[in-house]
Amino acid sequence: METTFEQQLERPVKSVLADFPALGALLGEFRIGCVDCGVGSCKFKEIEDIHRLAPEAERDLWTRLARIIEPGRTAQLPVRERAPAAPAASASPPIRQLVAEHRWILRWAAVIPRLAAELDLNREEDRRTVLAGVDFIRHYADRRHHGKEEDILFRYFDSGLDVLQAMLTDHVAGREHVRAIEAGVAARDDAAVREHLLAYAVLIREHIRKEDDILFPWLDRQLLDSQVGQMYAQFLEADRRFDRDPRQLENFVAELEARFDAAPAAAAR
Amino acid sequence: MNFQGCPGSRMMDMRRPAADGAPAAAPGSTPSQLRQWPVQLHLISPMAPYYQGADVVLTADCVAYALGGYHAEHLKGKAIAIACPKLDDGQDVYVEKIRSWFDDAKINTLTVMIMEVPCCRGLSALARRALESAARKVPVKEVVVGLDGTIRQSEWLGA
Ligand SMILES: [Fe+2]
Ligand SMILES: [Fe+2]
Repeated sequence: METTFEQQLERPVKSVLADFPALGALLGEFRIGCVDCGVGSCKFKEIEDIHRLAPEAERDLWTRLARIIEPGRTAQLPVRERAPAAPAASASPPIRQLVAEHRWILRWAAVIPRLAAELDLNREEDRRTVLAGVDFIRHYADRRHHGKEEDILFRYFDSGLDVLQAMLTDHVAGREHVRAIEAGVAARDDAAVREHLLAYAVLIREHIRKEDDILFPWLDRQLLDSQVGQMYAQFLEADRRFDRDPRQLENFVAELEARFDAAPAAAAR
Repeated sequence: MNFQGCPGSRMMDMRRPAADGAPAAAPGSTPSQLRQWPVQLHLISPMAPYYQGADVVLTADCVAYALGGYHAEHLKGKAIAIACPKLDDGQDVYVEKIRSWFDDAKINTLTVMIMEVPCCRGLSALARRALESAARKVPVKEVVVGLDGTIRQSEWLGA
């Protein structure tokens, strides 16, 4: 590799990791999960800004990354001179609302394996339960929740951002699973319904983990107070226009948990 | 050091060399970000036009003296009121005025800026009481300023 550490900084993190697999373990040590991240579109130099480390840890991380890429040379580290930064504000009210909706979606995802394991579409009750799950995903997870993300939150940012595109791709993939689940119920195809239910659960859990742990804190840090206020008002308006009772949709999850004797606290972390 | 008495009024000497080598700005050359008068919470009307739909910063009296960048970093683009939760009388009037910001002036956000001394928390408590009594919910943020002029904490209290 004749490229320097400084040149590597401008490359997508996935490409740098492919050339230097040893970097993965080091990033993992700092709880930066680029290796398993499905997005991987960040530039190498952006990883710290997105994941936010304490200044000493940041310097330590870059020093060790540079040593792996160019052993024996003192590289120019991309450590930003930060003003003794004001502590980041806690999550803003609109972001908290999205995170609260995530808890219900995660609770639903957590009972899916139990539902899938016992699934028998010849039973009327199972068909009704799966279709109620489809209803929950379509109206609560997708229209109500992803609607706020796509139509409100993401609009405050550059729509070309790869990480936002990756989130939209996940939303679309979720919708495809839902269509397949519905078709599977109509065809009484246990195997297809099971497969797409489980795939949806894996997809949505990973999607929410990325949003809760990385994307939302990063977006929240960039929002001005005035934008937080506007977004909060827009969320209230979106909820006012929502034509279903969200409690009734949440109750579907709670009842399913009761049926499978699942502990909601564990599912919601 | 004497730890007796109220920490909010305990004397501290924080003298340091002036302005770390930065050239002194020419007198009058730092623009003010103030866009209204009056500013004291007893004197303002919550229905004044500059509060309509505004981002409002309710600032404890001492904050602007402690924070070097108050105008540029915190007041810019916002409407203001100032108050002292320790010394001011008639604080029920304050709660009612803050509630009126939420419900009548339909402000966009409220930021309460206080000093780190314990008695200053009273101003956040007034804002919380007003928010609880308001029909309209608005994001409220609390910013705590250290005696050394740094931001100690910045937290969304809720909506
Ligand atoms: Fe999402
Ligand atoms: Fe989400």
